[in-house]
Amino acid sequence: MARAVNHYRLLEHTADIGIEAEAESFAQLLEQAAFGLRAVITEATDIQPRQEVVLELGAADREELLVAWLGELLYLFESRHLLPAAFAIEQAEATRLRARVRGEPLDPRRHPVEREVKAVTYHRILVEEAQGSWRARVYLDL
Amino acid sequence: MSVKVEQIDACRWRLPREGAMRTDGLVFASRQMMAFLQQEQALEQVRNVATLPGIVGPSIGMPDIHWGYGFPIGGVAAFDADEGVVSPGGVGYDINCGVRLLRTDLEVSEVRPHLKQLADALYRNVPSGVGSHRKDLKLSVEQERKVLVRGARWAVEQGFGRPEDLEHIEEQGTIAGADPELVSDRALERGRNQLGTLGSGNHFLEVDLVEEIGDEQAAAALGLFSGQVVVTIHTGSRGFGYQVCDDYLRTMLHAARKYGIELPDRQLCCAPLSSPEGKQYLAAMACAANFAFTNRQLITAWVRESFEQVLGKGPAELRMSLIYDVCHNIAKWETHQFEGKKRRLCVHRKGATRAFPPGHPDTPAAYRHVGQPVLIPGDMGRYSYVLVGTQGAFEETFGSTCHGAGRVLSRHAAKKQARGHNVEAELAAQGIHIRAASRATVAEEIPEAYKDVMEVVGVVQQAGIGKIVARLKPLAVIKG
Repeated sequence: MARAVNHYRLLEHTADIGIEAEAESFAQLLEQAAFGLRAVITEATDIQPRQEVVLELGAADREELLVAWLGELLYLFESRHLLPAAFAIEQAEATRLRARVRGEPLDPRRHPVEREVKAVTYHRILVEEAQGSWRARVYLDL
Repeated sequence: MSVKVEQIDACRWRLPREGAMRTDGLVFASRQMMAFLQQEQALEQVRNVATLPGIVGPSIGMPDIHWGYGFPIGGVAAFDADEGVVSPGGVGYDINCGVRLLRTDLEVSEVRPHLKQLADALYRNVPSGVGSHRKDLKLSVEQERKVLVRGARWAVEQGFGRPEDLEHIEEQGTIAGADPELVSDRALERGRNQLGTLGSGNHFLEVDLVEEIGDEQAAAALGLFSGQVVVTIHTGSRGFGYQVCDDYLRTMLHAARKYGIELPDRQLCCAPLSSPEGKQYLAAMACAANFAFTNRQLITAWVRESFEQVLGKGPAELRMSLIYDVCHNIAKWETHQFEGKKRRLCVHRKGATRAFPPGHPDTPAAYRHVGQPVLIPGDMGRYSYVLVGTQGAFEETFGSTCHGAGRVLSRHAAKKQARGHNVEAELAAQGIHIRAASRATVAEEIPEAYKDVMEVVGVVQQAGIGKIVARLKPLAVIKG
């Protein structure tokens, strides 16, 4: 069996932007979607893991957990200007998530902001697994 | 998925009731717009809205409709007080995003020599872009709570603007029933640093020229004349509103399950208007709406200051009074005649503007003989429009009309089209000065990314759901 590749790509939408992610596990899927969110905010990649935040989230299902996860990262950016550099996802079940987020506060000289993300939506939200390969789709309101 | 559409006349299309729909869809569009609409999901979203419990009249799409989340952008839907629902998705994340228009007594020839300095002063005095805010505006939690309850009135009490400004704001700048106890600490936190900021994306602050008058009587009532300089402000409730929407979407996902409401799309999650969840959302939404009115009121004060600084004239000479301030993302209790009966309805307008007719008691006294002003921004290179509401809108669309141009290009496509162009220099050559915090924003907001707003208001006027008063041309544009 071909080995699944972890990655994300940005989806076109008339007014906004979507993220499609693929990964080998649900945990890696969440990680890829998070990198997608970061790429919408800034194209910068020089982000240092200087701070750590522990997140524990619960939701009704995987789709809502994905929205809650990205929503939490967006809140960290909005409230502390924290840009994520790396994630350590310790628990990723259908309704529960525990993760360590490492990153640094936005430095506008090194991290030019491309766009302001208003929110993570439930529009056409998708999380699916087939033969060990995970796929997610989520749209952001800009 | 193809959606069944029947043409009614040159600018009306019916989406006949079928499947789970409880009513028809009604979309205002030209034939050309409809051809474009059939390529995206906006029509499907009009149909989805038609499935919601207690919808009264059709699920309506305005000519600037494009696909949004749950409800389309450019969507209007009214719900019965007893049987109906309220949906945060029918208001949007940017609760009470809206537009206000300020007049001046200045002719364009007086402003043109100072335009660059004016653009710089506005860019300096009105915070825009991510993380930017006024260092001299620090709110305590207590003050923020007052903002949420009192809205623009709070700003006027603090010296930002004049008492008469309030007469020319939808709902006089304060939506009743706001309860700060029903908003999260997160919303309060996100809001505190973002009050008095323009934001990013399609939000803007513009100095415009009144290029053409379409209705002399209405223009005179509004204080508009050809060759005049006016200012348009387009922004909303910033992170505060986004967080309120986000919080209540979660509440509503739960509520929809609890009340057994079948949803064709999770983003349409809702609760009965009569339920605790429905009432709580409306009270929290009112907080965000009041935040947005305050936001536009603060920005107005800094716009007036900037004009005074740059032009060296006092308020008496500039006569910068507020023409009007409209909401275009809101749900409101209103009384409408429907099938011969007076009904109290909760009207959702998402990317749609209230357009009350002449004589309506909620239209300010100064405009009662011409109708409520309606402000329709276009794109940063072409024009924007001032309209007034009509009896036709009141009878057919619950007193609603369009809200803007609507995008035609995705951000990616717009950026691609802008590549190799110096957008700012090209617009400057046309006499339009752009100041923006982010280059990406300028590229994604190029004029070509939007429908020609003239076509949108053309359909509105032809359908009789709005009347053109004036066309405005941008002179200076501040973006986030």
